[in-house]
Amino acid sequence: MKISFKLVVLAFLIIQSVFSQEGEVTGKIIDADFQDPVAFANVIVKGTTTGTTTDFDGVYTLSLEPGTYTLEFSFLGYKSVEITDVVIKDGEVSNVNLTMEVLAEGLDEVVVSVSVKKNTETAVLGIQKKAVNVLDGLSAETFKKTGSSNVASAIKAVPGVSVQGGKYVYVRGLGDRYTKSILNGVDIPGLDPDRNTIQLDIFPTNIIDNVLVLKSASAELPADFTGGIVNIITKDYPSKKEHTISISGTYNPNMHFNSDFLNYEGSKTDFLGFDSGRRDVPINVNQDIPSTSAFDSRLTTITNSFSPTLAAMKSSNGMDYSVGFTTGNQYIVGKEETNRLGFLASVSYKNSTTYYDDAQNNFYRRNSDTSINELETFRTQRGNIGTNNVLVSGLIGTSFKTERSKYKLNLLHLQNGESTAGIFSQTLNFTDFVNFSKDNLEYTQRSITNALLSGTHTNEDATWTTEWALSPTLSRIEDKDIRTTSFQVEDGVSSIPQNNQPKRIWRDLEEVNGVAKLDLTKRYQINEKDAKLKFGAYGSYKARDFGIINFEIESNASTLIYDGMADNILKDENLWTTANPVGSFIDPDISISEPANSYEAVQQNIAGYVSNEFKLGTKLRTVLGLRMEKFETKYTGEDNRDASDPQKVIYDNESIIDEFDFFPTANLIYELTEQVNLRGSFARTTARPSFKEASIAKIFDPLSNNTFIGNIDLLPTYINNFDVRAEWFGENAEMIAISGFYKKFKDPIELTYFESSTDNFQPQNLGDADVLGVEIEVRKNLGFVAAALNNFSFNVNTSIIKSTQIYSEQERNLRTLGLRDGETLGEDRELQGQSPFLINAGLSYEGEENNLQIRLSYNVQGKTLQVVGNGFAPDVYTMPYNNLNFNLSKAFGENNNQSINFKVTNLLGDDVLSEYESFGATNKIFSLRSPGTAFSLGYSIKF
Amino acid sequence: MKKLFLSLLATTALVVSSCSDDDEPEIIEAQATCNDGIQNQGETGIDCGGPNCQACVTDVDPTATCSDGIQNQDETGVDEGGVCSEIITVSGEIAEDTTWEASKMYLLAGKVVVGTGVTLTIEPGTIIKGKPGSGSLASALIVQRDSKIMAEGTAEAPIIFTAEEDNIAIGSTAGTNLDQNQRGKWGGLIILGRANGSFKGDVTEVQIEGIPADDTFGLYGPGDAQNDADNSGILNYVSIRHGGALIGEGNEINGLTLGSVGSGTVISNIEVVGNVDDGVEFFGGTVDASNIMVWAQGDDAIDVDQGYSGTISNAVVVAGDVSDHAFEIDGPEGTADPETDSFIIENVTIFGSSVAPNGEYADYRSNAMGITKNIYASGFQEGKDVELDANDVAQNYIDDILNFEFWEVTGADYTIFSEKVAKDENDVEIESTIIADPTFTEAAEDWTTTVEQDANTVGATLTDFSWTYSNTKGSLGF
Repeated sequence: MKISFKLVVLAFLIIQSVFSQEGEVTGKIIDADFQDPVAFANVIVKGTTTGTTTDFDGVYTLSLEPGTYTLEFSFLGYKSVEITDVVIKDGEVSNVNLTMEVLAEGLDEVVVSVSVKKNTETAVLGIQKKAVNVLDGLSAETFKKTGSSNVASAIKAVPGVSVQGGKYVYVRGLGDRYTKSILNGVDIPGLDPDRNTIQLDIFPTNIIDNVLVLKSASAELPADFTGGIVNIITKDYPSKKEHTISISGTYNPNMHFNSDFLNYEGSKTDFLGFDSGRRDVPINVNQDIPSTSAFDSRLTTITNSFSPTLAAMKSSNGMDYSVGFTTGNQYIVGKEETNRLGFLASVSYKNSTTYYDDAQNNFYRRNSDTSINELETFRTQRGNIGTNNVLVSGLIGTSFKTERSKYKLNLLHLQNGESTAGIFSQTLNFTDFVNFSKDNLEYTQRSITNALLSGTHTNEDATWTTEWALSPTLSRIEDKDIRTTSFQVEDGVSSIPQNNQPKRIWRDLEEVNGVAKLDLTKRYQINEKDAKLKFGAYGSYKARDFGIINFEIESNASTLIYDGMADNILKDENLWTTANPVGSFIDPDISISEPANSYEAVQQNIAGYVSNEFKLGTKLRTVLGLRMEKFETKYTGEDNRDASDPQKVIYDNESIIDEFDFFPTANLIYELTEQVNLRGSFARTTARPSFKEASIAKIFDPLSNNTFIGNIDLLPTYINNFDVRAEWFGENAEMIAISGFYKKFKDPIELTYFESSTDNFQPQNLGDADVLGVEIEVRKNLGFVAAALNNFSFNVNTSIIKSTQIYSEQERNLRTLGLRDGETLGEDRELQGQSPFLINAGLSYEGEENNLQIRLSYNVQGKTLQVVGNGFAPDVYTMPYNNLNFNLSKAFGENNNQSINFKVTNLLGDDVLSEYESFGATNKIFSLRSPGTAFSLGYSIKF
Repeated sequence: MKKLFLSLLATTALVVSSCSDDDEPEIIEAQATCNDGIQNQGETGIDCGGPNCQACVTDVDPTATCSDGIQNQDETGVDEGGVCSEIITVSGEIAEDTTWEASKMYLLAGKVVVGTGVTLTIEPGTIIKGKPGSGSLASALIVQRDSKIMAEGTAEAPIIFTAEEDNIAIGSTAGTNLDQNQRGKWGGLIILGRANGSFKGDVTEVQIEGIPADDTFGLYGPGDAQNDADNSGILNYVSIRHGGALIGEGNEINGLTLGSVGSGTVISNIEVVGNVDDGVEFFGGTVDASNIMVWAQGDDAIDVDQGYSGTISNAVVVAGDVSDHAFEIDGPEGTADPETDSFIIENVTIFGSSVAPNGEYADYRSNAMGITKNIYASGFQEGKDVELDANDVAQNYIDDILNFEFWEVTGADYTIFSEKVAKDENDVEIESTIIADPTFTEAAEDWTTTVEQDANTVGATLTDFSWTYSNTKGSLGF
């Protein structure tokens, strides 16, 4: 992921204080066509002999007396560039990066002259303009503009990107299976047993330099993505000593300073984002739990070892707050000025609470009588939910750079703990409605620890570049002691039915991931035109371990004695003991763990690629590539048959998928004019079954009452991707782009219900699917309306996507059975998670003099199929969420080293709503949350 | 200072979270034993007696073994029977005709499935135990479609299905350590056939609850070979105890589950004790069942669904402290035909619980159709009812396809019969009653008589149940 790496360095104007008598200017020069550093280019102060050259990394540093200068950048075969108005202040470092373009054939010399400001603004667009891939970037600057606090909320601004559940990114409506998230260009493990990709809300923006979304493939990228790759790039070390402190607070009148907030007693370290061990499984999983009939006092000891807290408690909450600190510096090592050691350390802490009043989660179904259209209630749940979320992140990076080599070591740790307490009233339709009052306590702990060691080496004339990286990652998600206690309430009497005992669940997912990669680049000439050959190797290893542990609390006393209070169940006086053999105890008849819902798996991917980039004529740039991947999944798990059963199936690290595939890619860029590019690309990609899907796991989900059945015979999906794009780049960072894409899926994997049992489902390779889409992106300065509006700009991007999934035989049969009278069934439906349209729009003001930035942004996505129905279970759609946000930031103080930021999210106060839709029926609520409007204020200072 | 604090914080987070893992608690070893010299676990003497330890006898040779060639323990022969009986663990498919012998004890490990075309014969007096476990590990004996069970016990030597924990000895009919309130210690007995049923969407076969759908041995219903006279074998004098292992919320194994079992099958003299879920549940099918006893079930005693069209006769229900309905009757789920989807329940005695919070008489719902007659009910709490759940069943009553005849009750009168209407989830009625002049309750006066305790003239022949464990253990006096 070279391109993305370049963007890191291509930062914006940064003013820093150093304690010296003169100022400094530094920056990086990038080749516009190839996005490579321009090594050994000349940098001269115009009209003087003062100057320097760039190093192999394209980086230069120049010490100057305070004043205003014009810098000249030149290199053989490139258009020279003059940057005017470069202001050098005493003791400060100015940063000037630029992109140099190759001279057109036959021209002797061209000098492009631009001001510092314009150069900065167009930098990201410049990358976009010349990049080989169809890509979109979000810089740290954009995070500031949109006021986003984590990657998940920021990334919505990218065309064709939507975020589900505040965590999961969908690119062009293709989620999870088809969209890949990587960190600093290398694979990272996921944090959700049900998904392949990582949850983006775990990345705070203040450790991120930028995020790139690539929508078309090229040979050096992994082949297992189809919608897009989201590359999260962490901060790089600064060019001079710099410290930043930032603080912010968020107030939501619907949620904060609320005496009805719900919580429960956690552990002493909850505020640090992890549980101290208080919520650990209190007994050994191999513990034999004695039956009451054994009169064994161990039963009481065991029961006593569980926390007696089962009820959600009312307590007050404060507001959200976060603090962050970043420091970094660069030193010259030894005598050579080119030997530089840099470091960066960044920590951040965020503590937030959410409270949803009258949140709903309901299940409806179609009547078994097909003449009745209205949906019938299966289960409703309404109640209040309080959540406390703590996110701590730490990043330490160091780098050492010599004249021709650069080494980097990065360590990242993200720690997140979320404690949730809820009180619900539930109705279950067992023909009669049975009412329950339910207490729910949950704690989810997520962590990622990633190390990245990388190097870049170049030869004397910088025609060869070698890059390598080694990156191990450990990720873990634990649901610790989820407690669910339901009382059946009838005529004011609360009892616990035998078949609905209080439950306690632990889930543990651990993934270890290792990536090694090597990329070599050779710049050479074909027919006297620059060309670039890239080749390399990539190896990844990923292992996952997943298990569920569960307990239930039984009572052989009358459950009426608890008075409907969950916390009474495990009170000392209500426990079963040998002296009081009528009471509550850990149910010895419940299997603590089941082999069929635990598994281990390993995925190995060894890849090699070669690609060549060259120009045909002066206008057509061509990149042809071929990637080979040898992918293998090994599975360890057993079915639910007894160990003594001769038919028991046990997989012990057995290979279940072993594929060797070729993935050709072609990218063409035709420069119609200086401003207009036409692009076309083709790529073959794949989507592989997840660990959970290609398994023999059988996992019962107590929430939905569904049973997931793994499918060990799943095949990978192969996709042919076609992209076309026309783009126009104007002055003042203006641009218009229109893209079209078509994707054809062979053997797509979707979840399918069983005809004989509609609460059982299994992933299967279904009939072919297609996705066809159009994207339009416009960025326009409003100066053309009136000169006074010169500081205003407007941007909008829209994606319109049509996806088609032909029904599988089972799905068609089930849907046919459930058809209402007069309803007809087509041949196909949209893909799950596929939004028919996405709109992002924004209006920005950027004051040149007053350092004021104001932005109003709007984001909405069309009605999206969230849960695929099965005839009697209707389809669930995520309804459009009209998200209007306002953000204002102002820099002030000496050298604008301080800034304040004010943000209002969800100005329209829209609700997050999903609904059941069924022929001729009134829509019914599947889930409803009212996030309300939140106000944030932040301050940051650099010194 | 803040800087220091923050760095400290991050470092602590890193360190603590990476080393707080995997300190598994140690296994708590048993303390109270039968040789610890302390009377500490319900024993009647030191280390002997009580439900847990060996009987307090002094003449057992401590060196006695099962291979010493001497009948010196509680063996029934030389080195055989009693403590020396062979325990045979069975699991998975029974692939060929098999006989389980009374001289051995059988232990079901997980799902034991009688293979297609295979007959499992169980001798009278045989004890079959189920291993504990819930979810996918729940043990059960499944007689799948096109296979047979020949379980013909006798009143003196019933065939007993119970939990592994039960200390019942070979040759006896009851253990001492469990009672009717010990539930969910294993799964249950499941018999599946190809007789008619009325299923949602008119599918011809469905998966029995509790078995994942890719295990096709869990299918019941005609499929492509309907046979209303389907013969799954014989169950006679069978006692099923302490079962009903949990699969998931509201998803348990019944004591005896009958899915589309055909009329060629014999089901009689069956007892279900202390099951978490229902006693006997009929999912469609045409089989008749007689002499059925259900005691202290966790949910409903007799449950009928999916257009079951056989006759249940001479049954006794004795509710326990946590029992629900005595009868829970649902109708056909697909296309309904009163000719083929109507049940008959007759000659049943139901004893209610004075404490069970939800201990109702009966609930008729979801298009239920059939007749319930010659019923004697006693011991229910005031306010408990026999209800028509909503307009659809009320309409069946009006249309004369849901009928009641000859009910006698003690401690209540005809007002236990009540017509209810459908409500939405907020408890708001969404329809109004449709049986008028007379109302359902008024009409019930015609078929309901209040009688003194045990002065009933209808109901079950209780003496037919004198063989049961319930009768002995519960001192029911049958």
